[in-house]
Amino acid sequence: MTNATPPKGSERNIRSLSSTHIDGAPMAYIIALAAVVTALSFIPFSFILGSGGSFPLSQGVLGLVGWVLGPVAGAVSSGIGSLLGVFLAPHTAGPLPLMRVVGSVYASFAAGAMVLGQKRRYWWIPVAVYAMLSFAYFVGRAILLNGVGVGIAFAATFVDWSAIVLFILPTRKLITGWLRSSKLPQVMLGLALGTWMIYGITHVCQSAVIYHLQNYPEEVWATLIPIIPFENLVRAAVGVVIGSGVITGLRAVGLIKPEHAVF
Amino acid sequence: MTTYKFQTVERDSVFTRLDFRSKILIMIVVTLLAFLWEDPIYEAVLAVLVLGACLAAGVKRGYITLLLAGMSPFYLFMLLTHAFFNVAQAERLLAVSNLHPIFTLPADLWLIGGLEATWEGFLYGANVMFKTMSLTLVIPLAIFTTDVDEMISSMVHARVPYKLAFIFSSTFRFSPLLWSEFNKIVAAQRLRGMALESMGLMKRVRVYARVVVPLILSALVRSQQLEVVLQSKAFNGDADRTYFHEVQMEIVDYFLISILFLFSIAAIYLRVQFGWGKFSVWF
Amino acid sequence: MVSKKIAVLKEVSYQYPRSEGYALKDINLSIERGEFLAVIGATGAGKTTLCLSLNGVVPQFFGGRFFGSIEIGGEDTIDVPTSQLAVQVGEVFEDPETQIVAASVENEIAFILENLKTPRDEIVARIPEILDAVRLKGLEKKHPHELSLGQKQRLAIAAALAARPKLLVLDEPTSQLDPYGVRETFQLLKDFQAAYNLTVVMTGHAAEEIAEYADRVALLSEGQLKAVGSPQEIYTSFSLLKDNALRPPQVADTFQRIRQRSVEVIQTPVCLQDGIEAIRDLQTRVNICSPKISSQGEVLQTETILETENLFFNYPDGTIALKDVNLTVKKGEYIALMGENGAGKSTLAKHFLNLLQPSRGDVRFAGKPTREFQVSQLASRIGYVAQNPDQQIFTTSVEEEVSFALRNLGYSSTEISVRIEESLTEMGLLQVRDVHPLSLPKGDRARVVIAAILAMHPEVVIFDEPTTGQDDLGAQAILKVSLRLHQQGKTIIVITHHLHLMPDYARRAVVMGRGRILLDTDIRTAYHQVDLLKKTYLHPPQAVLLAQEIASQTPIPKLLTPAEVAACFKPRVRGRA
Repeated sequence: MTNATPPKGSERNIRSLSSTHIDGAPMAYIIALAAVVTALSFIPFSFILGSGGSFPLSQGVLGLVGWVLGPVAGAVSSGIGSLLGVFLAPHTAGPLPLMRVVGSVYASFAAGAMVLGQKRRYWWIPVAVYAMLSFAYFVGRAILLNGVGVGIAFAATFVDWSAIVLFILPTRKLITGWLRSSKLPQVMLGLALGTWMIYGITHVCQSAVIYHLQNYPEEVWATLIPIIPFENLVRAAVGVVIGSGVITGLRAVGLIKPEHAVF
Repeated sequence: MTTYKFQTVERDSVFTRLDFRSKILIMIVVTLLAFLWEDPIYEAVLAVLVLGACLAAGVKRGYITLLLAGMSPFYLFMLLTHAFFNVAQAERLLAVSNLHPIFTLPADLWLIGGLEATWEGFLYGANVMFKTMSLTLVIPLAIFTTDVDEMISSMVHARVPYKLAFIFSSTFRFSPLLWSEFNKIVAAQRLRGMALESMGLMKRVRVYARVVVPLILSALVRSQQLEVVLQSKAFNGDADRTYFHEVQMEIVDYFLISILFLFSIAAIYLRVQFGWGKFSVWF
Repeated sequence: MVSKKIAVLKEVSYQYPRSEGYALKDINLSIERGEFLAVIGATGAGKTTLCLSLNGVVPQFFGGRFFGSIEIGGEDTIDVPTSQLAVQVGEVFEDPETQIVAASVENEIAFILENLKTPRDEIVARIPEILDAVRLKGLEKKHPHELSLGQKQRLAIAAALAARPKLLVLDEPTSQLDPYGVRETFQLLKDFQAAYNLTVVMTGHAAEEIAEYADRVALLSEGQLKAVGSPQEIYTSFSLLKDNALRPPQVADTFQRIRQRSVEVIQTPVCLQDGIEAIRDLQTRVNICSPKISSQGEVLQTETILETENLFFNYPDGTIALKDVNLTVKKGEYIALMGENGAGKSTLAKHFLNLLQPSRGDVRFAGKPTREFQVSQLASRIGYVAQNPDQQIFTTSVEEEVSFALRNLGYSSTEISVRIEESLTEMGLLQVRDVHPLSLPKGDRARVVIAAILAMHPEVVIFDEPTTGQDDLGAQAILKVSLRLHQQGKTIIVITHHLHLMPDYARRAVVMGRGRILLDTDIRTAYHQVDLLKKTYLHPPQAVLLAQEIASQTPIPKLLTPAEVAACFKPRVRGRA
């Protein structure tokens, strides 16, 4: 590259004549991450019976997809990626494949809705309202209709209500700030809590529907008390490992950031 | 050499000839019915019908086996937990105060000694099992009987934004590439002394998470190239273009759609008005 | 009146956003209708940017600053959107994977036509026509994943041509292909050029083919157009080529060396056929001698380190990948393992590492069957440098990358830091130890991977296609590392189809084709088995063919390089005509 002399030609006014974006994210990015989600659907992770069947490794990146692409493009990418994943890798799709897809859309949207600035600063509210309604239906149905003990119901939904609390309180903004930090330990902390939170609220939304169908009895609730937090801890750990690698990598490569990226 | 593609059926059947929109409606109606009913017999009939349709359409048996085998631990879990524990709910739904026992575990067993399995609980579990089976099997029925490009055209005709349809087909194109790349990265890590063979679950989780990092990064870097390729191929995300694959609704589609509509309305009416399909047992 | 020029570049300069220098600087160039213009230059010279500017992707997609103008068939690339310029300009890129966007062959062709709003009947008519022309008929419904690399690249060309552009721009379309695929692609382009008066602009490093097929060659250097001329003019400007880390065709190189020996050469040929004729001419005028060459063919008397015996391997889908492979590798050898794409070279290497297990037969390392080892155990003793560095980089700094394997293998922290130091020094990476590997240029990323593997102190190092996608300088740099390792006593296996690079390094050549070992001998004997090489779609380097031409008249040993061939010609005795 030569710098010495100014160019001889006259400078031209450049207009962007391209229109291949969705909500500020290039189509190709959306496709690439959707394909990642699909490919990772092939890898089963472990069994969680409470929310239905095994979960695939793709769940470890749904939050990240939202943080990288923003809420709308992230939701599109995750949704289409898991939709294909459900067809191609039925062995990890769980008992309610479509629920898996809806959950992915919700998770990435919720992650992308974590914003700091003035723009879109109310987007988190519908996400939170939906999570709270789901929680009310889920736990309410268990206690009032199916006679699950109040203590057990709340113990078994620790992941759910802790995530809702984190999401509603200013902790959401704190976590977002950490994700943007240039210090790796802060990014990792943000990823850990952010992943816990995003999957927690996703879990409650899915559980409300699944519980409506399955009505598992109190004894199952009891067994879930240790399992669900453990599973979510694993997800958070996966979120930290993948997220910190990808975010530092993207900063190193200098890829053009989508308009509504959170990281 | 990991090659995979859509398990598209090779057989020509009424399902392959149906418009994709009709098949989407089948999916919606089956989902609706599965949610609507709680009677194990209704659910069993629905599941058998969907399974039969899959076989008739030529969905590969290997795929169905993989699917059912993958789900079987879940099915077993559902049957057992409901048989042993689902007492209160079964009693409430059936408005009875004592259930029919199947057997009782010996009292001296640790923790689970003395537990009683009931027929009613078991059947409720069966209802859940068949429900999920229908929901799982209806997907290959609709998807594997349709050519991907037909899907795109159908989606566009069904007013799905072209950009979404395009992302769908491109994801389909690129996911095998990423899957084979995933395996290459795993191999590369083993070649740097990663002893996958002697690793516990938690360690493996960490390894796989590590593999995903280069996977995502290279996918994103390449996606910038992909964007250039798309633009060079005159792509502008505009739905105003021509379509190589044409789709058209045939009489059989209209017929099927009307039947499905009528049936759904009838099923809802019967459930609400007369309780058809509510949880019941025949003894 | 239709202008004779399809593209006119006037004072074109371009700067990428967030970049200091100019990727293109003051370029003036006219491209004639129907010509075949090759663009050459080292990595980073601006070839790709030039290609992308011809259809407006630069600057319309990338942004940045643009100076001057480019007119394509009268349309200005700044004012007309890329999607509209696509009617006139087709583009083909290096990576066959990312440029095929559809899920089947016919849809790939249809895609661009659909975007250009071509009526459906017309699309239906054009697909068989174009597939026939690129010999992909019968594969209409195939998923791109099921095609070979060469087929994928032909499909990409077909898709670009389907819209009947007047100008076809190809950016390094052959760098991933084997020699046969390269020639095939060039021939295909030449055919289209002749049949449709198509204008072809192509970048690449395939000097021999460019010399033969291109009408004009443009040389780029640091964003500037250094020279434009016929292949004859450019490929005989030796100092210009050397300054730009470019390589002349071997024919030209050979005759340049002959000339340096004060032998009169009327015109330095750049194409093989001209070279052979020039040799015939020289033979009538000049004395031929038998040059001294390094001794060859000696068998090392060391112990066997790797061995396969009646090795067969079938993939689960039934594809036979290896057939009755018997190979013995002695400690301290340097072997070139050659063959077309898909010949089974990498499959064989994976058996050494127990990544694949034989369907039949045995593979042994140091006398013990490889299946008795864990992959990680073998990997610490057999270093395997795979093709794409980016699939082998996992961590966030160069230093961590090097320590990755050492930590896996459970070394103490003092041992780890010693080895990191040593390995980084060896590969010249000390200055960048804290840098994220992905922020380094491609050649350096490859070095990071090699450093990470060397840190394990392997006894054998296998390089799998290390020179693919590298320019001549980059390729030589990696091979020099292999030579250094060989001198340290390590056993080296280089998998490659770049035959011209190997004579200075390898002693023994193993040629594979369709899963079999076709030839296993010293490199001189191997390179002179021209017909056998053709069976596995390899072409011997031009120097070998020139040597054979000489040998048909005068008995000389089996020569491999331009220098050796040139040495056949005795300097003229003073006073002779």
